[in-house]
Amino acid sequence: MEQLVLGAPPTVNGNDAVTRILFEQFSAFEVRLFYAIGYAAIAVFLYGIYVQIRKYRRGAALVLEGGLWSRFGDMVSEVLSHRRLDRRDPAAGGAHRLIFYGFVLLFIGTSTITLQVDILQPLFGVRFWHGEFYLWFSLVLDVAGVMLIGGLLYMMVRRGWLKPPKLDYARPDRSPGDPDFDRPQYRREDWAFLWILVVIGCTGYLLEAARLVWLEARPEVWETRWWSPVGALLAEGLTEAGLTAHGGGELRLGLWWFHGLLALAFIALIPFTKVKHVFTSMGSLLARDPLAAQRLPRIPESLETPGVTKITDFNWKQLLNLDACTKCGRCHEACPARAVGAPLSPRDVILSLREFAKSTLEYGTLPSAAELDVHGKSPGQVAQETLWSCRTCMACVEICPVAVEHVPIIVQLRRKLVEEGAMDPLLTKTLQTIHKTGNSFGESKRKRAAWTKALPFAVKDARKEPVDVLWFVGDYASFDPRNQRVTQIFATLLHEAGVDFGILFEGESNAGNDVRRVGEEGLYELLAGANIAALATASFNRIVTTDPHSYNTIRNEYPDFGGKYPIVHYTSFVAELFAAGRLKVTAPLSYRATFHDPCHLGRYNKGYEAPRDVLKLLGCELVEMGRNRANSFCCGAGGGRIWIPDPVGAEKPAQNRIKEAAAIADLDVYVVSCPKDLTMFEDALKTTGNEGKFVVKELIELIREAT
Amino acid sequence: MKIMVAVKQVVSLDEDFELRADGRDVDPDFFVRDLNEWDDFSLEEAVKIKEAAGAAEVVAVCIGSDEADDVLRKCLAKGADRAIRVWDDAIEGSDPIAIARILAAVAKRESPDLLFAGVQSSDQAFAATGIATGAFLDWPHAAVLTQLNYTPGATRAVFRRELEGGLLHEVEIHCPAVLTIQLGINTPRYASLRSIKQAAAKPIEVLAPGDLGLSDAEIGEAGSASRVRRMFVPDKAQAQLLEGDAAAQADKLAAIIRDFKGEAA
Repeated sequence: MEQLVLGAPPTVNGNDAVTRILFEQFSAFEVRLFYAIGYAAIAVFLYGIYVQIRKYRRGAALVLEGGLWSRFGDMVSEVLSHRRLDRRDPAAGGAHRLIFYGFVLLFIGTSTITLQVDILQPLFGVRFWHGEFYLWFSLVLDVAGVMLIGGLLYMMVRRGWLKPPKLDYARPDRSPGDPDFDRPQYRREDWAFLWILVVIGCTGYLLEAARLVWLEARPEVWETRWWSPVGALLAEGLTEAGLTAHGGGELRLGLWWFHGLLALAFIALIPFTKVKHVFTSMGSLLARDPLAAQRLPRIPESLETPGVTKITDFNWKQLLNLDACTKCGRCHEACPARAVGAPLSPRDVILSLREFAKSTLEYGTLPSAAELDVHGKSPGQVAQETLWSCRTCMACVEICPVAVEHVPIIVQLRRKLVEEGAMDPLLTKTLQTIHKTGNSFGESKRKRAAWTKALPFAVKDARKEPVDVLWFVGDYASFDPRNQRVTQIFATLLHEAGVDFGILFEGESNAGNDVRRVGEEGLYELLAGANIAALATASFNRIVTTDPHSYNTIRNEYPDFGGKYPIVHYTSFVAELFAAGRLKVTAPLSYRATFHDPCHLGRYNKGYEAPRDVLKLLGCELVEMGRNRANSFCCGAGGGRIWIPDPVGAEKPAQNRIKEAAAIADLDVYVVSCPKDLTMFEDALKTTGNEGKFVVKELIELIREAT
Repeated sequence: MKIMVAVKQVVSLDEDFELRADGRDVDPDFFVRDLNEWDDFSLEEAVKIKEAAGAAEVVAVCIGSDEADDVLRKCLAKGADRAIRVWDDAIEGSDPIAIARILAAVAKRESPDLLFAGVQSSDQAFAATGIATGAFLDWPHAAVLTQLNYTPGATRAVFRRELEGGLLHEVEIHCPAVLTIQLGINTPRYASLRSIKQAAAKPIEVLAPGDLGLSDAEIGEAGSASRVRRMFVPDKAQAQLLEGDAAAQADKLAAIIRDFKGEAA
């Protein structure tokens, strides 16, 4: 492809003859004009970069953990492998890979010309861009151009004909007629981006062909033309069509300016358009927190108001996250709230805030604090109902190809709402209850271990005698009558396997995982502190928990409060007991079963395999639902939503999920491994009319059946 | 402009509890303590008036031992400007009349424009303290408000009360006045744990009855008009589930009725 470069025409002689003709037709004035335009484009580009960096710097401070080099290495490997882009949309990933590598090769190629013409040759007299190097260069860049155009054409087909729903910009949190409902300006920008790149690519080839026809008399050009195969083919066509050498020269000159100005305009516009994602996505990946949702940020003591009120309360990385979003729609597709019609799409939270930051932080002076308030219903603001729709299931964070971390952004916004008391009255009540009693059921602390009374053996009090395994039971497993039966079975299994275990009795409080995700950080600190203090009075080797929510916060968040413990979820622990022969399958099950990954065990903590291994060990035939493992579909109870009533009449996430399971032919058991899941899905089984077709069971219950 | 809000730390009970050795109350070990629900509404009403006016002072007053500081901190977190706690061991055993005498003494010292109290407390339900305070002060008073309109600085307040039969009473009252507030008059705000923690930095003024010019004869059992003799759990009534089909159930029921009437089976 034809390359544009800033530099004086090289002398054409002898060995150097095989090279690219750059400015041969140009007067000195034209060359200077082109340079002037080139510098202007670069100046606009640099100014744009400055404006963007100034915007990010207006956010709150944040010091990234971990070494820069390991972050850099991870980022480069993500970018080069395109691993995240392939996920759940391999065609788009493949097309993007073509565009990316095509673009990168063309960029490097162009840079080598500049390297010689503008730097090495004038300063050191070094020239390398001729002869064999040039021929390979021509070939590689011709192939790169095909990749680029091919990828772009697929993207056009995708946007124009395939129209995947995730690329529909209509917002679930706005109504038709609202100024920011379906954002046609985004569609125009998408198409402008695709067309400009396609036109730049195609005119590059035409330009190359015109040059070949123009210089067909020069053997060093004409004889080597097949090193630019696309250009050479086009040149054959043009000649067939009657283009003369003179005509080729004329055509080349016109195309040269068109192609050149378009390319320079593209460069100048990078920081102001969606093209900036080439930089922002890399920045976002570089700043990625692998525990973004699992370990929420603490509130510094010095902070006057907790959470985020103003756009500038977000830290620079979060502002960068907003700009990294490419509107790919993967989070929009994965979000369980969006799937059931709740007024939330993680994509639109990010895009809304991005528009807000753009309209407030890209100017020389900052607007007043009132104009920086991101809470509300005006364009760019985020509504309460949107924030309270989130299940903090982490599906969005997990699938985002550019490391946008939606969950901490949403929780930071909720912290402000909690501080104001702007939440559902039932949630308010529950938080007060948890504060008062230490559990969400409003039961007396003394009743926490009441379920042990029905057991034929005594459960040790880990605060009074040392135990090998401390079992953190959690609220639902302790107080919910249906879950208590499972809890009693698990205690019996441990007892029979000879495990030396104990519990904290009334010393245990709600672990706080969901309280923290609601945004009530003060209450979370109280609960975590109480549990850490209770654990300090116990002597144990490790913690086992039957509750994935407790598992997550104890594993990932308690260390920030001084509580560092080895902890396993019961599925891994049971797998160990089977492996050691302490539990034995005596009556293999022949159920056709499917397994639901709990968000906090699966996506949050990558505990995908242990429950499946156990299920297979029990003899069950495991049939996966379409959405499994990292793509598991939240039951709808996370992030405090279990304490907030769902809208009447609308589908609930758990119902959506049960319908997915119901599509499995001859399903016997829908297996869960989380107390909240048991409650949510038994309810959904009834309300979707699937009762009698299959049953919802805790894995623990199946283990009991088989051992 | 000042509003004084009388608040109480109430107790709720665990499922299993034991009575105190003297049999006149529950063993405090089994108490779960919290702010009286009615007082949550009256505090909210005061804070709302303050917020609408911009310049007004809300003073929360509680009579209780240092354990009651928790409820005062909650009040401070929700928007009270100052908190006063009155205590001395001699106050132990006070009935609503003695408590009202202490509250009236605080009100004389503070001279608020309005004094709010909850209609009643959730643990003892006398529903007398607020009105008795009005009597001691000899101020106009009204009970069970469901709506209140008051502009700080005004000499009158207008409020509504719900009557039987779906009737509403709209009443005008001269200030200063004592008003008791009913549940549901507003939506009490949530006090986040963080705001409660921050409220811990605000001082709670602790007064003894002597500071208010009250003698031991005016407080505690000595200053009370009534005295609790004993507290007890009544014998449980008998209930029986009749099982079997309709005919069997009818037979059993008939047998029970005959037995009750003293007839032979």
